[in-house]
Amino acid sequence: MFRRILIANRGEVVSRVMRTAQRLGVEVVALTTDADKNLSFLEGADEVVNLGATRAYLDGPAIIAACRDARCTAVHPGWGFLSENPTFAAQCEAAGITFVGPSGATMRQMADKASAREVMAAMGVPTIPGSDGPLATASKAAEVAETIGYPVLLKAVSGGGGRGMRIVRQSGDIEAAFDAASAEAVGAFGDGRLYMEKLIENGRHIEFQVMGDARRAQVLGERECSIQRRHQKLLEETPSPGLSGESGAQARLDVSAIVVRACEAMGYRGAGTIEMLMDSEGNLYFMEMNTRLQVEHTITEEVTGEDLVQRQLEVAANHFLPDLNAPSGASIQCRINAEDTAAGFKPTPGELTRFELPKGEGIRVDTHLQVGDKISPHYDSMIAKVIATGRTRAEAIQAMKDALDGLVIEGVPTTAPLLRRLLDLPQFNDGATDTGLLERHLEELLA
Amino acid sequence: MKLKLDLIGNDLALSDAEVAENQNHHGAAGEALDSKRSIVREGWGAERAHRKGKLTAWERIEALSDPGSEVFPVGTLVNWAREFPGSKRQAPGAGVITAFCRVHDRHVMVIANDNTVASGAWWPGTPEKIQRGQEMALRLGIPVVYLVDCSGLFLPEQSKSFPGRRGAGHIFKKNSELSAAGVPQIAGVFGDCIAGGGYMPIISDRVFMTEAAYMVIAGAALIKGAKALQLTSLDIGGPEVHVHQSQCADVRVPDDTTAVALIREEVSKTCSSAVPFYRHGAKPEAPLRSSGEIESLLPKDHRHIYDMREVIARLVDGSLFHEMMPGQGREMITGIARVSGLWVGIIANDPMPHPHPDGRGMRPGGILYREGIAKIAAFSRACNADGIPIVWLQDIAGFDIGAEAEAQGLLGYGSSLIYTNSTNETPMFTVLIRKASGAGYYAMAGHPYEPVVQLSTTASRLSVMEGRTLAIAAYNTKLDENFEIASSDPDERASIAAGMAETEARIEADMDPVRAAAQMDTDEIVKLSEVRRWVELFAEASYQASGRRRIKNPRIWSMHDLAVLTSGTRAAEDRVPQAASLSENRAAPEDGATPVSAPMDGSVWFSPKPGAPAFVEDGAAVNAGDTVGLIEIMKTFSPIRITRGGTWLGAALEDGAAVEAGGVIGWLRPD
Repeated sequence: MFRRILIANRGEVVSRVMRTAQRLGVEVVALTTDADKNLSFLEGADEVVNLGATRAYLDGPAIIAACRDARCTAVHPGWGFLSENPTFAAQCEAAGITFVGPSGATMRQMADKASAREVMAAMGVPTIPGSDGPLATASKAAEVAETIGYPVLLKAVSGGGGRGMRIVRQSGDIEAAFDAASAEAVGAFGDGRLYMEKLIENGRHIEFQVMGDARRAQVLGERECSIQRRHQKLLEETPSPGLSGESGAQARLDVSAIVVRACEAMGYRGAGTIEMLMDSEGNLYFMEMNTRLQVEHTITEEVTGEDLVQRQLEVAANHFLPDLNAPSGASIQCRINAEDTAAGFKPTPGELTRFELPKGEGIRVDTHLQVGDKISPHYDSMIAKVIATGRTRAEAIQAMKDALDGLVIEGVPTTAPLLRRLLDLPQFNDGATDTGLLERHLEELLA
Repeated sequence: MKLKLDLIGNDLALSDAEVAENQNHHGAAGEALDSKRSIVREGWGAERAHRKGKLTAWERIEALSDPGSEVFPVGTLVNWAREFPGSKRQAPGAGVITAFCRVHDRHVMVIANDNTVASGAWWPGTPEKIQRGQEMALRLGIPVVYLVDCSGLFLPEQSKSFPGRRGAGHIFKKNSELSAAGVPQIAGVFGDCIAGGGYMPIISDRVFMTEAAYMVIAGAALIKGAKALQLTSLDIGGPEVHVHQSQCADVRVPDDTTAVALIREEVSKTCSSAVPFYRHGAKPEAPLRSSGEIESLLPKDHRHIYDMREVIARLVDGSLFHEMMPGQGREMITGIARVSGLWVGIIANDPMPHPHPDGRGMRPGGILYREGIAKIAAFSRACNADGIPIVWLQDIAGFDIGAEAEAQGLLGYGSSLIYTNSTNETPMFTVLIRKASGAGYYAMAGHPYEPVVQLSTTASRLSVMEGRTLAIAAYNTKLDENFEIASSDPDERASIAAGMAETEARIEADMDPVRAAAQMDTDEIVKLSEVRRWVELFAEASYQASGRRRIKNPRIWSMHDLAVLTSGTRAAEDRVPQAASLSENRAAPEDGATPVSAPMDGSVWFSPKPGAPAFVEDGAAVNAGDTVGLIEIMKTFSPIRITRGGTWLGAALEDGAAVEAGGVIGWLRPD
């Protein structure tokens, strides 16, 4: 195992990775910036390197230099920032630093969403009807839309987080939507290419957790992340209520087998997530693959007893994976963000004047913050992830209610009250979850 | 155009008692060999390695090899019984295992420090043994896998392993030569890898390091201040440093098992074996006669003769052999056969007596006479020209000696053979089946002529001359014309007899193959029953790499030219001896019998198909125009018809015999 690794990330990611690394006896070098340098959790790191500039978490060469100076032999990219940047991965390899993740080539293949779709389709993974690769022009887009039928979704090839994305419901709107989405994608990602998919409205977002050691891949069940607002996940759970009963179990089995085959064909190394969309008839379609650990990996850990960060580090050091535990029970994660839900989920930086975390059986809270810490305006608004686990979904929901009731945060408004009310929503309790559920009920949940 | 292969070999022509005696003798020698092998394999015991959570070198080799495949170690008995000042214990196998292993259907040379023997230290003999393994791989172009776990030179004896042309440093020259020749080298470092040992993996194309491994020019023990800083060798040269910082190694792995698994995977990325291609559509086949029978037929007493063709029959696929130039120099056997479906040339000594070419009666076999030398030199050149690997089977007493031999210029013929063997590029392998004496050992591609591998058997006798011969030479002035003691003084007679006996005994001990193996004068000792499997390995390893050496397809072999020029076409070879001998054996069955002759050249058959009843039974009446047989030429069958009525007295030839036009095929009593 590596003796000393650098975590090329900030905030909660660092505290999560650090916890496992240090348990394994691996020293941790953390990064910080001038904006982040006062966060108290950094004291737990064996060494902290201040890169200065606010945007330095994206500065690959500076991070590699920091690895060298701090004598780190591996870099864990966490999620976000450089975690899906194939160039950074390649630069690390060239510098003799192990990038904890798949190879640059695999990342490149999956990062381009059009090529990912093609690769997956070729390996038998069902994909949403859409364009074969990027669309050259708006008129080509119109042509494809006619074939697959409206409504359609235009998406940026290099996109994510909902930017460069447009829903088009009728042929008259397609040209304007194409131009606008393309312009937005150029601005956000420096790549204006778009592709098209049939819009599956109010489907379920179901994702499969994969872990591979470059030879063998294993699926650790799925997560449903349908509770979203503007494509931002707020609550995730496993197993998916959409895969209940005998037919659900069969679908899980079938998709897992295809996913395993596809990942083994790629020689996939590390943690990855296959994001799929389930339509109202229960068909699952491939959307994209995230070649990294997810924010919501926690609930998979809770139902399997596996430490995914540990597995990531092991496969990076060329361990063969043992047979991983199969999931059992149910787990839910609520993302507690510093956002004003009533004001359109506006991020609200500020100081945590009170911060009391729930405790108890089945309750886990992942956070990097302590009372007195300031939430920076420069980065994301995540305060904590509250995870509740039980033998059944009902138990997990009850545990989550108790947990959120016990959570006290003062100083900034958070998403917690909204999520607490969601837990009482009958549709949620019935498992009738889809990506439109939250927005459809937003008004009553905010009332 | 392909060479026709003949089924050779017969049932053992020995009494049950003789067979039992031979088997007991060779069996006991095999058991003695097995016990030495297991002592070497045991090393100093696996305990220490296991305690450290490591595999032993042999366990690594087993994990590396394809499941169920055989490992062929070379140099097992190097340093056997050798004592070292400064060590209470001996160094079994010189503390290193060199072996041919099969990995993903490729033969590879594995060179593994025996971590159970003084933590894999290099003893006197170790560097040479490693270089020998490297040389074999270089000659065959097969990948080399180094399993490095070496604490450095055994220092009390460093003067015997460090300097000199074959000193430890020469290993790295061999690493370089292998690399320059495009031979893949893969190294796994499993533990200590200090000083010179550090270079062994570095030149390899891929280097794997376990978390317990380090490579250092000097260990922490030699570094000033290391103690105060609590620096270990792992700190200064472990995977942290060499995989990431210096990048002297490529991949870090948690443990031995993973390292071996990844090395296996790496081997699978090298060129696949060309063996199936070079089989030219043939399937590998076991000898029709069991190779286990070699122990039954090789006489217990080394002075007794046997038919080497019977040994060949038990070594080659389907016991099928095409003997080249069978009419000349019959005490030398040259021919082509398939082993594991692959063409190999065989050059062997036949101990049986054969007629003197001048018709002066029989002369002893297993000796190089002029015709035999010329024959094997020409055959050796032809194999080289065609890219056919050669297997030499030695049971040679030496060159013919005496006035005739000198007058014929055997020195010149012998030198021509030596020149051929020295410059051949086709892979050559030598097996000392029994005697390997004097210049005969050299002429038959013994070790000094650098065959890729030279094997001894438990029956091998390697020497300049047999003990008896040396005793005669030493006491020459005391002996008469018949090499009997000349003196009549009883005391002097006794003293001469004792002296000669002592000389004989000393040479006998020197001829023990174990001694040759201990000092690396032979690569490995094998049992007679194991020779076939080794020859399979030789054939496969010779054809594994494609694009490295000349391998002509059989249609364009120069061997065909040689066959035509020396003894005519194959069909003619068949025709002359068989037709003649059979006609003689089956002379006219009665006075007045009329011969029935063959209408054309070909092979004769007396029934419509093998096993079917004859066209005409012996003693049956026949009419003019009746068919009594078929004549086959070029796969076309023509009837042999009787021209007049009478009684068919029987065939003069056996089914399938070759006959010339006009030759007698049977007998008729005309009406």
